[in-house]
Amino acid sequence: MPFDQAFALSSVLLATTAFSGLVLAQSVPLWLVLPTAIILIVSLLHAGGVLFVRRAMAQVTVSPTLWNVLLIGAFVILLIDLTVVSRDLLPAGIHFLVVLLGIKLLTLQQRRDYRHLYAISLMAILASAALTTDAWYVPIFLLYLLAAVWTLLLYHLTQETAETPAVVTPTSTAACQTTFPSRITHRFFWLTNGTAVLTVTLTLAIFFLIPRIGAGVVQKTSGEALRTTGFSDRVDLGTIGLVKQDPQIVMRVELPDQPAVEKDRLYLRGLAYDQYNGQSWSHSGTRQRSLSLVAEGTFLARPAGSRPSDSLLGTIRQDILLETLDTAVLFAAPFAELVNGEFLTVQADAMSGLHLPFPPSSRIRYSVTSQVPQLVADERTASILAYPDSIRSHYLQVPVGSQQVADLAHRVSQQATTPFERTLAIQQHLLKNYRYSLETDTATLSHPLEEFLFTRKTGYCEHYAPAMVVMLRTVGIPARLVTGFLATEWNEYGGYFTVRQRDAHAWVEVYFPHSGWITMDPTPTVSAAVATSRWESIRRLGESLRLQWDRLFVRYSAKDQLAVVHGVREGSDALRERVSRWVSSLSAPISQVLSRLTRMVRTFQPGTLGLVTVVMVVGMALLLLMLRDRIGLWAATHLPTAHPQLAIVQLYTRMLRTVERHGLSKPPAATASEYARLVEQEWKAAGPMVANVTALYLQGRFSRTPLTPGELSRAAEQVGRLQSLTHVAR
Amino acid sequence: MSSAHTIRSIQDNIALVIKGKTHVIEMAVVCLLARGHLLLEDVPGVGKTTLAHSLARSLDCSFKRIQFTSDLLPSDIVGVSMFNRQKQGFEFIPGPIFANVVLADEINRTTPKTQSSLLEAMSEAQVSVDNQTHPLEQPFMVIATQNPAEYHGTFPLPESQLDRFLMRLCIGYPALEEERKVLDRPHSLHPAETLEAVLSAREVLALQTRVDQVHMEESLTDYLLAIVQATRQSELLSLGVSTRGALGLSKAAKALAVVRGRDYCLPDDIKELAPSVLSHRVMLNRTHGMRTQSFEQAERMVLDIVETVPVPV
Repeated sequence: MPFDQAFALSSVLLATTAFSGLVLAQSVPLWLVLPTAIILIVSLLHAGGVLFVRRAMAQVTVSPTLWNVLLIGAFVILLIDLTVVSRDLLPAGIHFLVVLLGIKLLTLQQRRDYRHLYAISLMAILASAALTTDAWYVPIFLLYLLAAVWTLLLYHLTQETAETPAVVTPTSTAACQTTFPSRITHRFFWLTNGTAVLTVTLTLAIFFLIPRIGAGVVQKTSGEALRTTGFSDRVDLGTIGLVKQDPQIVMRVELPDQPAVEKDRLYLRGLAYDQYNGQSWSHSGTRQRSLSLVAEGTFLARPAGSRPSDSLLGTIRQDILLETLDTAVLFAAPFAELVNGEFLTVQADAMSGLHLPFPPSSRIRYSVTSQVPQLVADERTASILAYPDSIRSHYLQVPVGSQQVADLAHRVSQQATTPFERTLAIQQHLLKNYRYSLETDTATLSHPLEEFLFTRKTGYCEHYAPAMVVMLRTVGIPARLVTGFLATEWNEYGGYFTVRQRDAHAWVEVYFPHSGWITMDPTPTVSAAVATSRWESIRRLGESLRLQWDRLFVRYSAKDQLAVVHGVREGSDALRERVSRWVSSLSAPISQVLSRLTRMVRTFQPGTLGLVTVVMVVGMALLLLMLRDRIGLWAATHLPTAHPQLAIVQLYTRMLRTVERHGLSKPPAATASEYARLVEQEWKAAGPMVANVTALYLQGRFSRTPLTPGELSRAAEQVGRLQSLTHVAR
Repeated sequence: MSSAHTIRSIQDNIALVIKGKTHVIEMAVVCLLARGHLLLEDVPGVGKTTLAHSLARSLDCSFKRIQFTSDLLPSDIVGVSMFNRQKQGFEFIPGPIFANVVLADEINRTTPKTQSSLLEAMSEAQVSVDNQTHPLEQPFMVIATQNPAEYHGTFPLPESQLDRFLMRLCIGYPALEEERKVLDRPHSLHPAETLEAVLSAREVLALQTRVDQVHMEESLTDYLLAIVQATRQSELLSLGVSTRGALGLSKAAKALAVVRGRDYCLPDDIKELAPSVLSHRVMLNRTHGMRTQSFEQAERMVLDIVETVPVPV
């Protein structure tokens, strides 16, 4: 088959596979499928060289103006579709794409049209990748890749042939075709298919490698965990202040079930502390409880029957991507009910702090379902609350010598009649009378709390929260200090909170017998004032893209990859089995493989497949582009061509292009020797190479005897040297 | 001896006499090998005759020289039939045209009638006298010279006759150094007389056959035809190149290939020869009031046209 015909055929096949992908995704209505399918079949027959179709098509001539009018019409319909009918970009865009495809197929004339066709096909296959989870998509996608390789190669080769005309005169067009009849030979056929297989293999290899590389690159300094403070057994006052200006990202929290409300702040609880000795906070109890496993990877975090369910504000599900930290704490909104992640075990302490047995060595992803407690109405108004003994013994402890603080607390809350009002009064006192400032170094003071409350009156969360806890305790209200992160940076593009080191926070949990531990925060929300400039929003867009990358590739962990490999291997086992029992059972293993593939595809995110497609196609194009020169050289010397002259002519054209890139183009009326002399004068370094190639070219092109393979490879070597010369020059 | 060597030797031989004119010598040899005739057009005294003489001398061939004057008759060239008493019949006495190399000196000084008597001889390589056809010896080559500077008492060659010359060459003044060499030479003998023949007639014929076998690639033929077409379509010319001109260019290109030691033509052969082979066959649209067009003008015109035709890659 001649190159031209094969090129047209493979182009239409490319469009056909892309279209099949769309049809498979069930995103094209029937009234659009039928005409497009007919057009595709006609185009295939036409490209395949079926004579009566060619003749019939030759009869029908439609002016380009009509096509343009049709195109504009299709665009108008797209707009209507977008605004009135589908009201969504994807279906409307797909309808438009299909119409565009049909029109392009009917107007394939110039190379430009073919390029448009490829662009449309690429978009179609991408759209279908995003929409389908059907197992049949896999073979169609592979076919698309095969067709793409063929098309790219043939496009290049036909372009090359077109660029090397014999003579540019009216009489020569016929001569030109007879001089270089380029046909698809056996060798070429297998070579191209081999390239396609190689491409797929390479891409798969890269796909498997990228998460590995990503683990190193995206995770920044590998092996070195982010240093956090405030999540160990003991917390000294003032340590959080050290990280309050660090913008390093600690985690990203998605709220998949949450509607777009209350995205202003989210408390992510780390650990709670009950004992204060005037200098630092610590846990009193060391009792660790392993959470019970309720399903694979799912742990039940709530102690059985600990809280009545009517006091709950609502359920928040969070998907958290936690960077590598030097702490084993798992952060979650208060209070975790269910924890889902690839953990062997999750432990909880007596104060509902979740943590792993040891700090994770890589970034982890887990999801938590939390139930947010709400203050029961009658506890707001109850003047006396009966606290259990276990609570009283733990959460009313104050350091010795805090009489001054106790006096302040009593003075502030003397108006209040109920515990809840007292709590609010103390909170309000702290909010109103103290100034938020990060430039407060109290870590070295002997009485940091008194210093904050009475002397400096400026501080940050680590001063506010302990002050409130101690004040509450002196007036008989059980409270505890909680450290964690206060997420305020909502990324509207990705739909998640970005949590940074500087979001580290400390707050207070106040106990109410029926409601449980209620979160209270005495710190003014100064830190929440994040600049919302345009830059900020662009940065957030970039951030969200990075998360997508994480989600689609980096999350694709070694385990998942192993699962795929297992699937494939089991599939191949099944295939082998099928060969051995070829006669007896034909269908079962195939369906087994298919169902496995289906499962694989299902577990893929549709977006993953789309991204894989993009990576494959872009990678392939880049590969071809990068190797274009090499492939051309190789093809020119090794591929069997119908005319022996073609090889040296291609080499010579390549040489011309190379020198032209250096700014020395050949005047059309100059002969090869004249041009060689010109190059010799203007570009001394290239002179010998050009002279050698020109001599071989003249001999091979115009004499009766074709060049020997040795001479050809010598010419190729010279062109290669010239190319490397230009690379150096660049 | 290889053909390249043979040709080299003849060029070297002529170069002993004609100093510093290797290009003109090469063209003369090309003309010889292409079975063409040569028109040398230049001012007197630059070596037109000497070139013709040396070429003829270098070949082991017969050489005749005809000085064209206004009273020269056709029979003075082709010969006459005279009555032979002993045989009782007319007997043909061959004229000076019956030689391998004929030098037609100052060809534009004679009448058109006499000039046209050369016509048949040049194109058909035969002469007809009294209904009898006499073939000329092979190889046969006419080297004509003419003086463009004087127009008094001259008869410019008709187009048909110009077309029969394969090439028109201009010798031009030699460079200073070369001219000094000419002066330093002993004067006792005409320099051309000292030359020894290096090529026999048979060898010349063999070389001419070799020229016919030279390969001209299809695209080159197209290129040549494109040039010829361009002269016909050019607005600068009122008369383009004839088919004989195209044929001549093709032959000359092949001959040049042989001279340069190849058995195939290159685009350079055609491009290089185009001015010499085509310029005397075209007529300029405007000759600026002059009766005849100048040599340089026509050559420049042809060169310009060639520069518009793309060379096949």
